[in-house]
Amino acid sequence: MKILLLAWRNVFRHKRRTLITAAAISVGLGAMVMSNTLMNGMDKIASWNIINYETGHFEIFASGYYREEGMFPLDTIIDDPEPLLAIVRDIKGISGVTERVKFPARVNNGIDEFPVLAIGIDLNTEFDVFKTNKTVVTGHFIEKPDDILIGTELANTMEVDEGSVLTIITRDKYGTYNAYDFIVAGLITTEHPLFDANAVIMDINVTQELLSLGKGVTELNIRIRDESKVPDMKEVIQSKVGADYEVYTYKELYASIFEVSGIKRVGQLMIALVVVIIAAVGIINTMLMAVMERIPEIGTLKAMGFQNHDIVKMFLYEGGIIGIFGSLLGCLYGLLLSLYIVFVGIDLSSVFDSSDLGYPLKFVLKGTIDPALVLLVFVFGVIVSVLVTLWPVRRATKLQPVDALRHV
Amino acid sequence: MVEVRDLHKSYKVGKMLFPALRGISTTIGDGEFTAIAGPSGSGKTTLLNIIGCLDVPTKGKVLINNMDTGQLSTKEKAALRKKEIGFVFQTFNLIPVLSAFENVELPLILLDMPAAEKKERVVNILKEVGLEEFIGRRPNEMSGGQQQRVAIARALVKGPSMVLADEPTANLDSTTATEILKLMKELNEKLKTTFVFSTHDFLVMDFATRLIKLRDGKITKDETK
Repeated sequence: MKILLLAWRNVFRHKRRTLITAAAISVGLGAMVMSNTLMNGMDKIASWNIINYETGHFEIFASGYYREEGMFPLDTIIDDPEPLLAIVRDIKGISGVTERVKFPARVNNGIDEFPVLAIGIDLNTEFDVFKTNKTVVTGHFIEKPDDILIGTELANTMEVDEGSVLTIITRDKYGTYNAYDFIVAGLITTEHPLFDANAVIMDINVTQELLSLGKGVTELNIRIRDESKVPDMKEVIQSKVGADYEVYTYKELYASIFEVSGIKRVGQLMIALVVVIIAAVGIINTMLMAVMERIPEIGTLKAMGFQNHDIVKMFLYEGGIIGIFGSLLGCLYGLLLSLYIVFVGIDLSSVFDSSDLGYPLKFVLKGTIDPALVLLVFVFGVIVSVLVTLWPVRRATKLQPVDALRHV
Repeated sequence: MVEVRDLHKSYKVGKMLFPALRGISTTIGDGEFTAIAGPSGSGKTTLLNIIGCLDVPTKGKVLINNMDTGQLSTKEKAALRKKEIGFVFQTFNLIPVLSAFENVELPLILLDMPAAEKKERVVNILKEVGLEEFIGRRPNEMSGGQQQRVAIARALVKGPSMVLADEPTANLDSTTATEILKLMKELNEKLKTTFVFSTHDFLVMDFATRLIKLRDGKITKDETK
């Protein structure tokens, strides 16, 4: 305990030096905390957008459809969804299931034509799974068969508004071109760039007619009550629907997004780690100075009977105390920046106006603080500070008492 | 009791071997107040360092209470210093960040002793050296004489059998030096602790009950008053 007191007092012999060293390590640690908050927020919003607008927690396809999903193969669809819907509804933990038809189309405003993703939705069950009903900013939701919803960005690009007539052109199941006229019932704004800039939403019955699908749908979308049970529920749903259908979680469907997120996290962590390593060199320097200027004191302590392990302990405590200050400072400023990101957020609208970052989110990015990571960063900072102290302290242990006492 | 037998010590200076001690043999009994005197370079500090297990001889033996210190490991030597030997240095060597009380308490933190006893010992010894009113002061808030008193208290607090003092008055004015020597003598008589100190100051030599004179690493005179 007294050695700790001695270490504590030693740390504050040179307050400015200690402060600078602690501040240096805090930069890297704070960056770690902040970048994690940012990435958590991106992942959370991305997940939210994917689940609430695009996939639900699960999507079910007819076997083989997903492998060619990019081609929208209308010959491997779910021909009769009713029995499947009934099976899924009976599974415990499911809060909603709906059906959708997704297909590529071209939309024509009479002057220009734009490629879009058209989505036919089941108006009776759509809102059991998705939150598309909360996205209409102008006009109203689909009420009539020839109503469609389009994103505000697409509307701006096409220079159309509520009430405008648009022609949807596509090929049906047999490859025959088909075109229907629709009225823009409303404009939607989500935080999902796909929906705002590239999607057209319509009634599933009209979609099935347009594509000659009969009752067929391209997918079922499922929402479950407890999102944390997604991995467990997948097996349950797959076993119930059988091998003719394939069940995918939203994370599997958007694996690339979450993988990119993982890579970005590692990248940010590496940058923060480099900053911490640079700061660790600062700690080594500080501790080396401490050892060098206190050699006669080390000699005195050894003369009193202090052994090498007592001396090492004292310097490790000193490194640890600097580490605790640096880590506290780092976590504190990381948390302050994180709180700003959580409550105020970072406005990404200008970024997304000019480019697509490949992330299903836009507008204001709000972060999510991970308390476990903050704690981990704190512990990491302290451990690094203690470990890097070992090297300069080796000099102190190698000193013979008589040489240390003679040192000027 | 300390027995020194045919002690030699040489230092390597560049490629040359410089002999600091050339066959010292003597015995210092318990409770003695012995001065080792001689000019600079005569080997006083080297002799004290070897007796205090801070340095090793090139040849010869030191026996403390019949124990050959040359046979002890580094750890055992540290343990011997911890319990049996107190040091007083010319430059006081107090820890600047600790108060007088904490400096004196420092050797006790290595000993297995109840906190209350530690406190009592520290307070008592600080009283003995006349610093009971200065216990909260740090070294830079005390005079040289007061600092040396703290150093003496620190050397004595653990109740060692021997205190080795390397030129304890060299950095003090003559009045303060006399006070310190009187104090050391009083403590020597009261506590029966052996005091061995090096000096080239005649004042110090006058206080000693035994005087060992060194020149060029050899004993030239050994007299008991």
